[in-house]
Amino acid sequence: MHTLRVYRRNLGAHLRATLEYQADFWILVVAAVLTQGAGLVLIATIFARVPRIHGWGVWEVVLIFAMMVLAQGTSELLAEGTWGLAGLINRGELDRMLLRPYPCLLQVCASRVGMNAFGNVTVGGGLLVTALLHLDVAWTPARIGLALVLLPSALVIKVSLTVVANSTSFWLRGAINTFAAGMDQLGELTKYPLSIYGVGLQAVLATALPFAFIGFFPVSVFLDHGRLAWIGLLTPAVAVYCVLLAVTVFRRGLRRYESAGN
Amino acid sequence: MAPLIEATGLVKEFRRPRRDSGLTGALKHLVTRRFDIHRAVDGIDLRVGEGESVAYAGPNGAGKSTTVKLLTGILVPTAGEVRVAGVVPHRDRIANAKNVGVVFGQRTQLWWDLPVGDTFELLRDMYRIPAADYRRSLGRLTEVLEIGPLLPVLARKLSLGQRMRADLAAALLHQPHILYLDEPTIGLDLDVKDRVRTFLRQLVADGTTILLTTHDIGDIEEVCGRIVVIDEGRIRHDGPVEVLRDALASASSVRFQLSASAPLDLIRERLGDAEVTAPGERELVVRFDRTTRTAGAVAATVMGLVEVRDLRINDEGIADLIRRIHRPDEVTARSGAA
Repeated sequence: MHTLRVYRRNLGAHLRATLEYQADFWILVVAAVLTQGAGLVLIATIFARVPRIHGWGVWEVVLIFAMMVLAQGTSELLAEGTWGLAGLINRGELDRMLLRPYPCLLQVCASRVGMNAFGNVTVGGGLLVTALLHLDVAWTPARIGLALVLLPSALVIKVSLTVVANSTSFWLRGAINTFAAGMDQLGELTKYPLSIYGVGLQAVLATALPFAFIGFFPVSVFLDHGRLAWIGLLTPAVAVYCVLLAVTVFRRGLRRYESAGN
Repeated sequence: MAPLIEATGLVKEFRRPRRDSGLTGALKHLVTRRFDIHRAVDGIDLRVGEGESVAYAGPNGAGKSTTVKLLTGILVPTAGEVRVAGVVPHRDRIANAKNVGVVFGQRTQLWWDLPVGDTFELLRDMYRIPAADYRRSLGRLTEVLEIGPLLPVLARKLSLGQRMRADLAAALLHQPHILYLDEPTIGLDLDVKDRVRTFLRQLVADGTTILLTTHDIGDIEEVCGRIVVIDEGRIRHDGPVEVLRDALASASSVRFQLSASAPLDLIRERLGDAEVTAPGERELVVRFDRTTRTAGAVAATVMGLVEVRDLRINDEGIADLIRRIHRPDEVTARSGAA
């Protein structure tokens, strides 16, 4: 609890610092809305020509999309600092974090707040609610319970995968981690139903880099959609796996840390 | 009493990519990766007792900062053992962090984008400093270091002197038993240097154990009781600062420019226990003990044997002495330039 409280305060202090740049804040909120808007236009365009993609209707796809955007916003809010990890390693700035009696990974995560987080959380949340209103969901207690487990699990998976992607900086040692950016781009593919991709890519996105568990699989099981909907029930397990993976990779990497200078 | 800081056979090796310069060099490195092993710290044994104030001196790249990083747990040693207040720093980082404070002169520990006061509050939370202790600690540090007006200022807006004082306060808020300082006075003006040293002396008087690396003789003489000299990753000298200072009080040298090359053997014979060296062909340096002979007598002796064009008398500084301990040739060259 103490750990969480310190994390929140650390993040809060950086948030206050960030919010001093008002122009930046609004530009990035608008940027997030425009970026995600473009994605929605794409979806709308496709569904204007075909009624369904691989059995998925428009609001179902929007729901997947909404989960992805919400997860992205969460990651930008809680773990944006990891995108600075390569620079921290490169300049030897992890030193000061290693000198404090607090987990290094959490200090890295809280070292920055992504300003597009606000735009993405708002857009993602809004789309999520809109899609759910358009879909004919029977809100039985079981389904509500399911949603309450799936949503946080999906968000945890996104944050953990961001940590994993950026922890590769310990091995790559560049000043900017292009691998992490590439991995993140790959994850963007799961904004659309997984079944439209080739089997190989599907396998990668479902297992090695389980981005499909952020949107596609949880939505499948929630809407009871398709033969493989049951896989979505694994979402909480995948979340636990991703957290362990993130912590392990980060710790391994930290052992390679060599500071800078003499 | 068991030493507070205890390092045995400490070794740290870095693997450095060997790469030719330029784009071709970089491309070649992508295909054939070659590495050099660089031994920054090479078998260091160091024991520091409670309440000691130790200067850790040596030339650039000698391994001073690497040692500090090993002692603080930032780096994992390649070989050897470290124990600080009974804790192995790199293994139990968090327990160690509570016992020690660290100040890096070249790099701030403050959060760059936050007001100094916010940084202090975050540190209070991280170190779990009880409210009453925090108030007392902050009050004392604010007063002594005069940082009251700096609390609402963003760290990146501070001048170097202000930053160093804020950094010192940040490192001491949790009242650590041990304080490591890596070049704490680097780049500071004389006035701020003085204030920092006075403050450190006070800490030592209050019982804090201090280990500081420095190039600044003032830091050593004014703050420390013991000096450890390191070069190429090895300890070359370890002893009380006073002994060094006493040696200094009596050490003097005369430097001659000659018209012809010097008859070294003859001069050595006449000057007995004085140290005679010839850094250049027509140069001569005689180092002697001021308590047994005078500069005048030395000069007269040399002038009687060879024609002298110019001469200069110097008292040696502690810096010359430290350098002489491990680099005899370089000393003569540098004191010539001075």
